[in-house]
Amino acid sequence: MTKKETKDRQYLNVTIVTHSEGKDMPVNFKYKKRHDREKPMALDVLLQAQETKLPDLAFRYGCRARNCGVCTIDINGLPRIACRSVVRENDKLKAMSTLPVITDLVVRRDQISRQLRGKIYRNSGGNDLNVDASEDYHELTSCIECYACLHNCPMHEKNSSDPSESNERYEYGNPFSLLKLQTIVMDPVSSNSQKNDAITQAVNLGLDTCLNCPGCKCGIGIDLKGKVVNPLINASKKIAEK
Amino acid sequence: MRINLVWKQYDVLVVGSGGAGSNAAETASEMGASVLLVAKDPLSASDTKISEGIATVRASGSEDDSEDTLSENLQLAGGDLPDAKITSAFAKDSQTAYDKVRANGLRPKISAITKNPDPLPLPMGGHTKRRSIGHKNSGVAFGHANWNSIVKDAKIDYKEDCWLVDIITENNKDDTKSFVGALIYDAQRGELLAVVCPSIVIASGGLSTIYFPKTDTMRGNTGDSYAIAARAGAELIDMEQIQFLPFCLTSPPAFEGLLGGEPVTASYLGVLRDKNKKVILDGVYLRTRAECSAAIMKAVEDGRGTKNGGAYLDMTANKRAPKSGVYFMNFLKGSLPSAYNNVRQAMSKSESQCEDLWEVRPSAHYMMGGIRVDENCCSIGGSEGLKNDGIVGLFAAGQAMGGLFGANRLGSTSLTEGAVFGQRAGKNAALRARNISGMNRLNKKLFIEKAKKVNSLIGQKGHLHASRIKLTIQRKCWENLGPIRDEERLNKTKLFVSKTRKKLKNVKISNSTKWNQGLIEYLELENMIDTAELMAFAALERNGSLGGHVRADCPNISLFSKPYSTIVRFVNNGLNVTRLPRQQTEFKKLIKFKFEEQKKFLGAKILRLMPMILKDRVLEKRYKKIMNIQKSSITVQPGSVEAAFGDRKIL
Ligand SMILES: Cc1cc2nc3c(=O)[nH]c(=O)nc-3n(C[C@H](O)[C@H](O)[C@H](O)COP(=O)(O)OP(=O)(O)OC[C@H]3O[C@@H](n4cnc5c(N)ncnc54)[C@H](O)[C@@H]3O)c2cc1C
Ligand code: SF4
Ligand code: SF4
Ligand code: FES
Repeated sequence: MTKKETKDRQYLNVTIVTHSEGKDMPVNFKYKKRHDREKPMALDVLLQAQETKLPDLAFRYGCRARNCGVCTIDINGLPRIACRSVVRENDKLKAMSTLPVITDLVVRRDQISRQLRGKIYRNSGGNDLNVDASEDYHELTSCIECYACLHNCPMHEKNSSDPSESNERYEYGNPFSLLKLQTIVMDPVSSNSQKNDAITQAVNLGLDTCLNCPGCKCGIGIDLKGKVVNPLINASKKIAEK
Repeated sequence: MRINLVWKQYDVLVVGSGGAGSNAAETASEMGASVLLVAKDPLSASDTKISEGIATVRASGSEDDSEDTLSENLQLAGGDLPDAKITSAFAKDSQTAYDKVRANGLRPKISAITKNPDPLPLPMGGHTKRRSIGHKNSGVAFGHANWNSIVKDAKIDYKEDCWLVDIITENNKDDTKSFVGALIYDAQRGELLAVVCPSIVIASGGLSTIYFPKTDTMRGNTGDSYAIAARAGAELIDMEQIQFLPFCLTSPPAFEGLLGGEPVTASYLGVLRDKNKKVILDGVYLRTRAECSAAIMKAVEDGRGTKNGGAYLDMTANKRAPKSGVYFMNFLKGSLPSAYNNVRQAMSKSESQCEDLWEVRPSAHYMMGGIRVDENCCSIGGSEGLKNDGIVGLFAAGQAMGGLFGANRLGSTSLTEGAVFGQRAGKNAALRARNISGMNRLNKKLFIEKAKKVNSLIGQKGHLHASRIKLTIQRKCWENLGPIRDEERLNKTKLFVSKTRKKLKNVKISNSTKWNQGLIEYLELENMIDTAELMAFAALERNGSLGGHVRADCPNISLFSKPYSTIVRFVNNGLNVTRLPRQQTEFKKLIKFKFEEQKKFLGAKILRLMPMILKDRVLEKRYKKIMNIQKSSITVQPGSVEAAFGDRKIL
């Protein structure tokens, strides 16, 4: 092996796109492998960058184990869960493109939860809690809120991209918000009026966009089309017929 | 550049949106209080969300599970350190508190027979009754319920990406202190929030991030709860009691510190070996976590550690056994599914199949002490029975509070702790706000001074970086405040802490006001320094091995000596440590336990040294028996006493 080849084996070249005051700044970073065969995750790369070249690099993470859902970034333009996504030579790590960037790889997230404020689980008291939920309910509640599903969602894209401070909540929905509403529909404890309410909320968030859409993709494999979008569309049709 | 100060007024401020914080905010809001909830992480992202999701609910498995029984279980497990009033409150509220979480969408499996949530088929270690309820999607299920509780009725104001910086108190005429508000860095908007309010609930979790390696707990566990409360003058209790899990992964880096197994999953023939493959601990499945950690760390210290500073967990004999080997693998995979999943991803095939040795090393997990409170989550201080000098208006719940677990935490109790004491804290915080008729004239100066201090950091010049110093602290705390301790190391910690504190003025911080990572790292670093110092003082006071750690220079704290809790607090120019005597369990029980333990170790050794054909036969029978009881594939919770069988020795 030549000297250069040995050296190549020890390093991995990536681009980290930092961001400040509204401007992107790509930085080349040489990740030093901790052993020859190491296949580092994106989060390893970011942590090493922070330890060495970019001490103030801002990025979100929590559990390092694909549970907390906060570390999502774009790798080569596609949303990936950083703590469990292997990085390859020349990969580009950047903030998620679907949400407004605050600093570096940190995006603002809370306009999504605020969209559902006051719209879920109202008057849930008093119902009998001792009923079993279906497998589908549990599939939906496995969502870790990583927001990877925002990618290429035409409904979400309808939101103004104006990152102005006053924009506290998004007007149009996204697969995650629909999933939250559909959990209410699937919940055996919900009353009929709560279920109808949830379906109406989905319509208000722009459910009709889904009609002409090939469907969404979940970062951890929840069947969004089959278990969220289609059931909501069908249910909303039924309500409309009535 | 300066960060703008923005004034806010509420009845109750809740810090943290894990289990404790969500429950506190919801309860306070239901009582009519205006509530602001802030958290540094996105809504509901917390240890609660990433936990295994097993929760203790009294009498869920059998009707004869009285409040006294549950409370006693906690007392015994905690080495008589827990506060009886707090364990009783836990026992009293566990059912109602759990139902409140269920109302927000947590859906356990319902038993066809009892028509109630079905607990795991066996009592978890240290629990004398079946009462630990598992949930589909583990902690994420709790994460959704907590998220719902905040978002649902639009009454609770919440802000994520907000770091509590400090709390502000005023001196009362009678020499006590009252909480009057808090200063918060809103990184998302680039503002400093001066929140004026009569009550605060500190539910901002633990401190495992002051160590590396740590288990898969959240990065933000930088001891903020403890440091911030202590800086305001609150007392902390049992701060030396941190739980270490011994069998965590050493590599690849992405998996370092994550849980691989527990003593019990090493099973009947598992042993620990040093780098020369010499056995350093046998009967592993019967040992406590502390014993396993100590054995590993001692080997490392003597230069017999493995490449990555650990030891080998050798389970190959289990696997090799021709008949029982299959059972063993099922046992291993079924007991700790998420931990085994870590192993499968991180290790080679032959390792994960237990045909090769696992390189393992201990990792920090959970703080059992915390802010000293009473059963209503109010900060208390002073000697028992005398004038209380806690901070009026300061409440703590969840991992932030102390007094419930003492020297050991029973499995599945923390999620319930968050619900029970979150709700209690929320209620009492709201009551205080209601009862207070207008606050003293607001002393704006106190807030402005604090804000000035933060602003003086913006643009600070220097050659050091907080994110790097943090890494050094993690290493140093591991070496000198970790699972193995002695006086020399603890003194080193003290010295290191004061040296590091002096470095703070040379930390470089950029000019930006919005999401200034350097500032965030600085604020967290400061909390890590203060917390480490408080812990070092408590650990020095605890002059013997007990619960979570080993004092290498002192004898074990005899089960027969008088139990005491440690109390630490900051005073004018330093730190003050005292002891709080606790009530002791009957001697008879203790002697019996010791004897049985020795018998078990001997039995385990004899079995291991038997010829393979013989032991294979014995083991096959044993596995059949436990796997039969465990038909519905029981999971052992990481960190539970069940997972480290020997932890029961504290009984
Ligand atoms: C892997 C794992 C498995 C576990 N399994 C179980 C189990 O099965 N059963 C069980 O009972 N327990 C389990 N535990 C323990 C349990 O999850 C935690 O002890 C419990 O969830 C702590 O809840 P909490 O509300 O006190 O804190 P957390 O849930 O940790 O919440 C802390 C909150 O405070 C916020 N915060 C922190 N600092 C600040 C600050 N300065 N300013 C603003 N906000 C701040 C955080 O953002 C977060 O919102 C497990 C723990 C882990 C790590
Ligand atoms: S639905 Fe899937 S992709 Fe979307 S937030 Fe949930 S886990 Fe992530
Ligand atoms: S189906 Fe609907 S929610 Fe899914 S991507 Fe398309 S528009 Fe978005
Ligand atoms: S760090 Fe929690 S999902 Fe990646």
